[in-house]
Amino acid sequence: MLPALLVTALACPSIAFAAPRKPALDTDVVERLPLRAGDTATRELAALQASARAAGQDPQPAATLAQRYFDLAVARGDPRYVGYAEAVVARFPEPLPASLRAVRGQLRQYRHDFAGALDDFASALAADPELGVAHAWRGAIFLVQADYAATHKECEALLHLNRTVLHGGCFGLLQAYGGKLGAGQQSLQKALSATADAGNRLWLLTRLGEVAEWRGQPKVAEKHYREALGLGRDDGYLLAAWGDFLIDAGRPEDVLKDLAGWEASDNLLLRLAEAEAALKRPGAARLAQMLEDRFAAAKQRGDTTHQAEEARYQLRLRGNAKEALRLAAENYRVQREPRDARILLEAAIAAGDAAAAKPARDWLTSSGFEDARLRDLDQQLCSAVSPCGTALVIPLRSKAVEQETLSSPLRMVIRR
Amino acid sequence: MRLRSWLCGLLCLIALPALAHKASDSYLMLDVQGREVSGQWDIALRDIDFALGLDADGNGEITWGELRARHTDIAAWALGRLALQRGGACELQVADHLVDDHTDGAYAVLKLAGRCPSSMGDLKLDYRLLFDLDALHRGLLRLGLDGTTQTAVLSPTRSEQSFVAGEVSRLAQFGQYLVEGIWHIWIGFDHILFLLSLLLPAVLLHEARRWRGVANFHVAMVEVLWVVTAFTVAHSITLSLAALGLIELPSRVVESAIAASVVLAAANNLKPLVERRRWLVAFCFGLIHGFGFASVLAELGLPQETLVLSLLGFNLGVEIGQLAIVAVFLPFAYFLRDTPFYRRGIFVGGSLLMLAIALVWFVERAFDLKLISA
Repeated sequence: MLPALLVTALACPSIAFAAPRKPALDTDVVERLPLRAGDTATRELAALQASARAAGQDPQPAATLAQRYFDLAVARGDPRYVGYAEAVVARFPEPLPASLRAVRGQLRQYRHDFAGALDDFASALAADPELGVAHAWRGAIFLVQADYAATHKECEALLHLNRTVLHGGCFGLLQAYGGKLGAGQQSLQKALSATADAGNRLWLLTRLGEVAEWRGQPKVAEKHYREALGLGRDDGYLLAAWGDFLIDAGRPEDVLKDLAGWEASDNLLLRLAEAEAALKRPGAARLAQMLEDRFAAAKQRGDTTHQAEEARYQLRLRGNAKEALRLAAENYRVQREPRDARILLEAAIAAGDAAAAKPARDWLTSSGFEDARLRDLDQQLCSAVSPCGTALVIPLRSKAVEQETLSSPLRMVIRR
Repeated sequence: MRLRSWLCGLLCLIALPALAHKASDSYLMLDVQGREVSGQWDIALRDIDFALGLDADGNGEITWGELRARHTDIAAWALGRLALQRGGACELQVADHLVDDHTDGAYAVLKLAGRCPSSMGDLKLDYRLLFDLDALHRGLLRLGLDGTTQTAVLSPTRSEQSFVAGEVSRLAQFGQYLVEGIWHIWIGFDHILFLLSLLLPAVLLHEARRWRGVANFHVAMVEVLWVVTAFTVAHSITLSLAALGLIELPSRVVESAIAASVVLAAANNLKPLVERRRWLVAFCFGLIHGFGFASVLAELGLPQETLVLSLLGFNLGVEIGQLAIVAVFLPFAYFLRDTPFYRRGIFVGGSLLMLAIALVWFVERAFDLKLISA
């Protein structure tokens, strides 16, 4: 009974207060579509749809169409395209051919069904051992799960297949996450110099930007991010990383400038809301409310893939440390990347609960991850909440003054 | 080309939490009260455009005019993907078209109206909107079923769902029939009189053509228990048989027989024929009274899905009504059993009065006359 009531209560904000209307004029514009009929992307999609229809049970055109939808979802931060891709794949009977398995693996990992995704990629590899993409994805999933031994195997497989750039990316990230930021930076840099492809360059530059940040080299990081942005391609992940960099650097005005018009993406809306809040702008409350509505909408459909963002929202915009910690801990059970560890540590400090952050602190110890900010957070948690664990303390090599300036805007937001 | 997307994959994965936000949802709010269905269905214009194509001039903007021109198509498309069943397929139609805004854009608002074949029982819902085009689409249902609100998420794997007319409402139905049972005993004077005519001698013993008071309360209690139980068992049998449509008797025969039963029971007090086995009298006439209760139940109507529960409720209600009468009457009669007031006034006088009233009823009912009843 009570859960039913809660669900009803949750359903109310988006349903009960809606006010349906009848527009006065036929010329009133009621909706703007993401794609226009004349757009290149629209024409390309239409052609792919037509060839997939014409191909009948031939899986290749369908795999191409599904992959295109998925790429669009990534570029625009729009999950509807993931649903379209899933529907295209679902039209084929089990067992799926390798090409469709490889696409479905990507769609499954999107839904955080990591076990299902790993399984799909493994089957795809069994059918086609040359399928580098499957190794790359498996490596990426193991990285997120902080299973570095398994990641290493996938990177090795890419090396044996002579996928130089993929291997460089895989191995560079493995090194960086595993306590060797400098070596990781070099591997990624090497992969970057080996490719002229704009798409490859964009993601390698983005990850190089992050690694430079972790190493306490904001100027290098900015150079990488700017070069990636200069490629002129829509990329939600790049914009989010750039937004985080600017927020940490105490430059919220730049966030509002560079992420303007990206409110449609929840992830970027979070960065915009944080920037508005840091500037104490009147629009901050509206953006925070928009975020809250979207989290509520996701909850209604049983979607729990946004917990890391929601934890950040609760901590930095609502000052609700307890709920933030719950969400961050829940998220850390599924995803264990540096950013997931960071929000868990921040929430634990705010909530004064060191025990809840133990998995992240254990990871810091076992991985030897070198980010000065995370080490600093670990220390804060240590001194604020005793008894302190046995997290490995690495002497801070970055300039203490610079570090202080970087984290101060964050602390200001936390105190709201 | 393929390599690039693979590479992108390595990055995309890490971008996951960012992307996992608003996928396609429709908001389906239904209110089913008995046969009547009303509701509202909000479907994203972007989703309708993906399925049907709304942007007639291809400028990336949907105007109210473009939408209005497709209202018939939209209604047919949507209603073709939603089926409701309550005792058979419910008829649904779109009564009005509006627009509204949700967190991810503008939605078409379809005002729904319809009727189901049955006013009772579980509701089955089959939802298939957009699943063929968007496997992540979800229908977010809020259903009011006879006043109880339930929610559900409709997905490709859970597109067909059944909703029980909630526990609360079943209980309420049981309670409703229970009250009807009690009420019927209270307003059904013929049943009360019959019961009283059997109860009046319970505190007395007829020996050597004379009445005397029973020795103790226990004796009276046992007698009452036999009588009431026999009456209950008997009328429960015929009530159930009649309610289930297994036996049907003309109501005039039943009503006349009930009146006759009171006449005979009262007469038996004045000139005892049956003394020891009054419970047998109670049983035999109870069978007749059961048909009387059944006619009341027929007027109320019995819900097919909760037939047994409702029947039980009604029977229990009748029982509670009877026990209330016994609880008031028995201590009073026992206390006064040896007084002339009881012997003459209540026992003889009461029996005579009941006999007279029941005779009038009998004549009225058997010959279809109006004598004293309105």
